[in-house]
Amino acid sequence: MTDQILIHGLQYGIYVLEGALCLLLAKQGAWRSRLGFCVYVTLLFVLDGVARPAVLDHFGRTSMQFAYFYWLTDVALAMGAFLLTCGFFRRACAREEKLWRFVRLLLIFVFVLVVAISALSLTRHYTQLYTVFIVEFSQNLYFSCLVLNTLLFVMIQQFAIEDDELGLLVCGMGLQFAGEAAGLALLHLTSGGDFARELFSFLNPICTLGMLITWIYAVTKTPQSVPVDSLAGKQTALAEAVLE
Amino acid sequence: MFMAALILILSTGLFFFYLQAVCQKILRRQFSQEFFQSIVNANRLEFPSVRKAIEDFGSPVEYPRLTLTLKCDFLALTYLLKNAANVNQRYSYEERLLIVYFKLMFASLVTRHWLKLRETPAALKLTAILEYFANVVGERVNTVRFGNLTASDYLLNL
Repeated sequence: MTDQILIHGLQYGIYVLEGALCLLLAKQGAWRSRLGFCVYVTLLFVLDGVARPAVLDHFGRTSMQFAYFYWLTDVALAMGAFLLTCGFFRRACAREEKLWRFVRLLLIFVFVLVVAISALSLTRHYTQLYTVFIVEFSQNLYFSCLVLNTLLFVMIQQFAIEDDELGLLVCGMGLQFAGEAAGLALLHLTSGGDFARELFSFLNPICTLGMLITWIYAVTKTPQSVPVDSLAGKQTALAEAVLE
Repeated sequence: MFMAALILILSTGLFFFYLQAVCQKILRRQFSQEFFQSIVNANRLEFPSVRKAIEDFGSPVEYPRLTLTLKCDFLALTYLLKNAANVNQRYSYEERLLIVYFKLMFASLVTRHWLKLRETPAALKLTAILEYFANVVGERVNTVRFGNLTASDYLLNL
């Protein structure tokens, strides 16, 4: 009972934050410079915050329709996350056209590889499309996004790209991908055991919450260098002298 | 099966890596001036001297004193964060995250000491967190107004 209340609390927290992030982005404008990010946030809000609860309300939690819809939207969100990672790579390589050409090829290769590995799994379990293939495809796609995201993080550090907002957005994505991939892998390892299922039901919303909070922080409070106010500086120095 | 186990191990490791990266990004926030110095002086905090000892001599002061100093400064600063010039009298999300981060780093410092590993990186990270807290408190105090005066003006007129 307490678990269910906690899960529902987390879920409603996510809906509120998704809506708040959408509103924040709309209020700030700058859709053009953050196009991919804005599209993904809107997709997340529409699919996770509106469509899933509507289907759940209509068909019920134990229905097959909800299970199919949940996993299909999960694949759509995983695809969206992959495209968002590509968008972040584009933003990081904005001044490095040569590097971007190489990165673009790498991203296409990774996507083809994930589809191929997942398709291999489908040939073995073609009767269990929704239970095995989709879980494995999502797990592989989230894990490859996680690896790409880590590469992007290292690239930002290595090339000293001074885009603090991008750095924080990448960290938020990393939190979500890592939690999701770990949860799905555990689910796969235990063949959907009760413990893994229960852990996943907590882990997934916690990671999503972590990502959304980090993103809201990135959008609203990105660290920026502020010139030192000489007058305020003098006042503080004098205040210190008085304190001493 | 092997692939899933590998993904599980790597993902768990990367989850904590990103959590640390978020904390480091928050700590990189630049303040308009060094607010922490006045808070350090007013409250006789000792973390700057710990950091100076590490920077000058390459190793922190003796371990019991180091842990006591950091713990006392942490308690003082978290109290100030919550109560000094804070209308809501509660921590913000990033402060909560950094408090957890401090506790984890402190545990890491203790573990490093037991395992006889280098304590310096953990001690430096702890002082960086304390400096951030002191800067936040200082910034808040600096913006509080007593009538038409800021805290700095108020002190000057004493």
